[in-house]
Amino acid sequence: MIRKLSFAIAATAALAVAASAESVKIGFSLAKTGLFAAGAPSQLNAYELWREQVNAKGGLNLAGTKRMVEFVQYDDQSNAGNAVRIYEKLITDDKVNLLLAPWGTPHHFAVAAVLEKYKFPMVGNTAASVQLREIKPGYIWFTTSAIPDKMAVEMAAMMKANGIKTAALVANVLPLAKEIKAALLPELKKNGIELKVNEEYPPDIKDMTAMLTKVKAAAPQAVIVLSYPSDSVLYAKQAKEMGIAAPFQFVAIGPTIDFFAKVVGPSANGFVTMGHWSPAKADWKRAKPFYDSYVKKFNEKPDYLDSVVSYMSCEILEQAVAKAGLDREKLRQAIQTMTFETINGPVKFQGVQNTVTPTAFLQIQGNELQLVWPKSIATSAFKPKTGW
Amino acid sequence: MDAILSGQLLAAALVTGALYALTALGLNLVYGTMRLLNVAHGDLVMIGAYVAFWAFTLLALSPLLSMFAAAAIAALFGLALYYGLFRRLLEGGKAAQRLEANSLLLFFAVSVIVQNVAALQFSGTPRGFQYLGDVYRFGNVAVTGNRIAAFAVAMVLCFGIMAFLRFHVMGLAIKALIQRRDAAAIVGINVERVQILTLCLGFATAAVAGALVSMTEQISPFMGFPFTIAAFVVIILGGLGNVTGGIVAGFLLGALETYGVALTSSAYRSILIYGVFVLILLVRPQGLLGGRRIVR
Repeated sequence: MIRKLSFAIAATAALAVAASAESVKIGFSLAKTGLFAAGAPSQLNAYELWREQVNAKGGLNLAGTKRMVEFVQYDDQSNAGNAVRIYEKLITDDKVNLLLAPWGTPHHFAVAAVLEKYKFPMVGNTAASVQLREIKPGYIWFTTSAIPDKMAVEMAAMMKANGIKTAALVANVLPLAKEIKAALLPELKKNGIELKVNEEYPPDIKDMTAMLTKVKAAAPQAVIVLSYPSDSVLYAKQAKEMGIAAPFQFVAIGPTIDFFAKVVGPSANGFVTMGHWSPAKADWKRAKPFYDSYVKKFNEKPDYLDSVVSYMSCEILEQAVAKAGLDREKLRQAIQTMTFETINGPVKFQGVQNTVTPTAFLQIQGNELQLVWPKSIATSAFKPKTGW
Repeated sequence: MDAILSGQLLAAALVTGALYALTALGLNLVYGTMRLLNVAHGDLVMIGAYVAFWAFTLLALSPLLSMFAAAAIAALFGLALYYGLFRRLLEGGKAAQRLEANSLLLFFAVSVIVQNVAALQFSGTPRGFQYLGDVYRFGNVAVTGNRIAAFAVAMVLCFGIMAFLRFHVMGLAIKALIQRRDAAAIVGINVERVQILTLCLGFATAAVAGALVSMTEQISPFMGFPFTIAAFVVIILGGLGNVTGGIVAGFLLGALETYGVALTSSAYRSILIYGVFVLILLVRPQGLLGGRRIVR
């Protein structure tokens, strides 16, 4: 009996070794703890869903041979310096075969130099800044199309198309909000939209009553709130309390995340927000299946921004290695030149940017997020917010 | 100018002030009796908020009921910290003399551990729920039900604890300990019992504040820090260890924040709060209502 058991153990151990020898190691760091820990789960969930799906299909296709996917992941404690050390370690010590991206703009910028140094290609995802165009192209690419200056142009155009003449702007002082604001002010002017209130607030704001009193007194047709998740909730609750009646209300970051609807409820209907994806987009064949399997696995909706761009980066990697295998130079060329089929439609890179996916906006309608701008990809028409 | 005199701003100032007062109350009690600088205080608010969130999500329990569970859990945590960490350090000798400074570091460690355990357990995803979200109108003032409830509970607790400190024998013992620690022991007060009670009470009030906040804000493992800062500003404004002063200062800070922002801009919120804070430290280091210096 004991001999049988020890044989079984030895056999299992041998199997495990065989499996790990054949598996393809994909490394990444993510902000499991620290300041950005709130953002990271929607990214990790997308990675895990992708791994499960690939392994269920018999593994990742590397130019003909299939190997199971194994993750090597570390917590970077939301510290970009740690991310740099972790990516060095992943490449030189863990000797991973492929890399996935860390969470957030600063981390992407920080690891870009490591990728350049080791000539290791990585498809980025959760970064949005005009500064990413200043990164030397070659080993990093960005899937998002929500770049602040492009968003500003589209938002002003969308407002003009909907007959908006006056607006109030309230903005968090954190970098992304500042970038959008800087780009938006001249665009509003260009489109003849008068700015009646222009206020900034700190990230730790706990009460917006005073600021919203000014907004209410100005009675603008549009309120543009350049906010992050916690202040987005604060705006939604206090604007409802005060009965802000603008038909166009833009809330930057938050409404695409599952928790937002749970906290704010149906009063969020009518909010316009950042985002270029919706499962309702029928001709993106992969969109709805992604949404369904995500909801099934995690029992919550994906973040229409972070989960989507993260999953896209996995899809791009998958299609690139199917053609190029693990050779880094071939892989780099594949990512740079191929057109990819993703949950967000086709993607192709020029320099570091995804130039196919249009910069777009979502609106919450009947508790669901619909693409309302630009018209070329819209799943529904913009509807003025009529109440709370 | 009409806006400044509006009832809407007054309501906002009162709600904010009541929550600041309640949050700071627990911190003040713990500092006053034990001279422990609890920089993990905001994380107890976070724990209370999570208890309310899970109770609401899993058991459909009102936060106004689950706040008792939140209080109990935080009190137990306080008890565990006392027996596990502070009892030995408070006993005497060199460690006790350095305790005030060391407690800052110890609680900082507690804070980091609590936050990251919460992040690993519950994930960092922000969460929240809706409870009493309907808007009630009083003349031209509109307030959501959950903010009215939060205000009411915070007021009842603040005044309840003030009455306890004034009329109950244990409350008097706590005050005695705050005023003269050495003398309290000499007149026969069981210092250890009072310390345990205060630590549990201080932790519990923070958790109740968390349960109240969970009705009005999103919650995350890292939501606590702003509450810690606000609580410290309040107790220093009101005078360290001065419970009544702390409650008054909570409302002052709420008013300062609301009216200050209304008169200037939200961008100046932090400058206003810390500006007044530094000014008070320069002009009246014992705090606005601190009659006698307790700081040593």
